[in-house]
Amino acid sequence: MSWKVKLAILVSLLAAGLQLYQPERSNPPSNPGGSFEAVARPAPELANVLRRACYDCHSNETRWPWYSRVSPVSWLIARDVRRGRAHLNFSEWNRLSPQAAQHKLREACEEVRAGEMPLALYRWFHSEARLSAADADWICAASKAP
Amino acid sequence: MRHALIAIALGILAFGTGCQRKPSDVVDPAKLKVFEPLPEVVAASYGTPSEELIALGRMLYYDPRLSKSQQISCNTCHDLNKYGVDNEPTSEGHKGQKGDRNSPTVYNAAAQFAQFWDGRAPDVEEQAKGPVMNPVEMAMPSDKLVIAVLKSIPEYVDAFRRAFPKDKDPVNLDNMARAIGAFERRLLTPARWDKFLKGDAQALTSAEKAGLNVFLEAGCQTCHLGALLGGTMFQKLGLMKPYPDQSDPGRYRVTKNEADRMVFKVPMLRNVEKTAPYFHNGKVATLEQAVQEMADYQLGKTLSRKETEAIITFLKSLTGEIPFDYIKQPELPKSTARTPKPDLSD
Repeated sequence: MSWKVKLAILVSLLAAGLQLYQPERSNPPSNPGGSFEAVARPAPELANVLRRACYDCHSNETRWPWYSRVSPVSWLIARDVRRGRAHLNFSEWNRLSPQAAQHKLREACEEVRAGEMPLALYRWFHSEARLSAADADWICAASKAP
Repeated sequence: MRHALIAIALGILAFGTGCQRKPSDVVDPAKLKVFEPLPEVVAASYGTPSEELIALGRMLYYDPRLSKSQQISCNTCHDLNKYGVDNEPTSEGHKGQKGDRNSPTVYNAAAQFAQFWDGRAPDVEEQAKGPVMNPVEMAMPSDKLVIAVLKSIPEYVDAFRRAFPKDKDPVNLDNMARAIGAFERRLLTPARWDKFLKGDAQALTSAEKAGLNVFLEAGCQTCHLGALLGGTMFQKLGLMKPYPDQSDPGRYRVTKNEADRMVFKVPMLRNVEKTAPYFHNGKVATLEQAVQEMADYQLGKTLSRKETEAIITFLKSLTGEIPFDYIKQPELPKSTARTPKPDLSD
C-alpha cells in the first residue's frame, strides 16, 4: 500500500471520527409572544429583512443547513449561532427594555451599514442575506423609532 | 522551507506579543454610545414627587414597625450607609429566616426597567410592597396590620395627609409604597464615570480607561449597558455554558414559561465594588470571581488575571457618592398605646 493510500485512509478515518463529536444544534423553546415581531410589530418589509439576513444566527428559528451536520464545519456554525443569539436574539425581544431594544437595533443598523453584518462568509453562502442600502434603511429607521 | 518556518515562528511570536500587549487607554467614542450618564431624577409615572411625599418615604424606609417583629426596616437589608446592601449572601428576615436571593442595592435601582432579580415588579413603588408582606422578610401578615400600625401613630397620619392632600383616606398600602418609592427615586450615586461620559476625558485614570477597553473588548456591554450598566434587560444565566447552580429557575417562577428558566434581570454595575457578594444567590464572594464567571458563562471567554484586574479597575470608577444629607435618618414618630405590639411568633 502506497503512502498516499495510507494517508487517504487516515484522513478518512479522522473525518469519520470527527462526525462522532457534534455540537449542540437546537432551536431552544421560546415564547411566541416574546418575539420581535410580536413585541415591536414591525413593518412587513423590516420583518422580511431580518428574517432572511439575521434570524439564522440571531433568533431561535435557525434554519440549520445540511453542512451544519458535518464536523468540523458544524462546530464553527454552532459557535456562531451561540454567540449570535447571546448578543442579539429576535426570539427573546421581550427580555429587553425599550431602551435596550433601541440600543440593539442601532447597533444592528451600524453593523449592517458598515458591512460587518451579516458575516461575509454567511453572505457568500446565502445570497438572500446580501442586504441592499434600502434593506439597511429599514433597520436604521426602526432604531430611531420612538 | 526554512523561510516558511521562520515566517511561522515570527507569526507565533507576533501573536504572543499581541496577547500580552498593554491595553490601550484611548477609548473610541463610538463605543460609548451604549452608555448614558446617570439621570438627575428618576421620573415617576404619576409626576414629580413632592418634598412631603419624599419625607414620608424616608421615615417609612427607616421604620422597623413595618415588620411583624418591629425589628426590621427596609434599611436593615438595604443599608443606605453601605451602598444600599447588607453585604450578606442572603439577608436575614423575620426570626432569622434567610431569603433565597441576594438583596440588591436600592441605589439607582429606580432607574431600572424592572425590580427584583426576576423582574416581577415593574417599579420601585410596586417593589416596596413585597418585602413588607413576605413571610421570610418583614413578615407582616396582612395589609390591615400595616395600616393599623401607621394609623395608630398620629404623626404618620398627618404626614400621609400632607403627602396625599387629595385623598380622603390617605393611609393605605399603595400610598405607603408610593412614598417609599418616591424616596428611592432620588437615591442616585453619580460617579466620575458620569463626568467621563459627559466629555471630561480626564475624569477616568489611564488605567480605568484601559480597563474600559478590556470591558468593551470582552463584550460585557452586550448586557451591561445604559445609564446603570445593567437593569435594562433580562438574560439567561449560563448563556454560553450551563450555570452550575440551577436551583433557582429565575424568571420562570413568574411566567411559568420554559423559555424563562434561569433568566434573571441583568444587575447594575454601578457601585459594584461595594455590593459584594454577587449574583442572584450571593454565592460569589469577590469581584474577581464574579468577572471571571460572567466572562466564562455569559461570553464563553476565559479572562486572564491581567484582563480581570483591568476590568475591575474600570468597574471601581463606577463607585459613586452616597448622598449622606439626603439619606440622613429622621427621628421616627413615637408609637402610642394603640400601636400593635411586636409579634415574635412564626
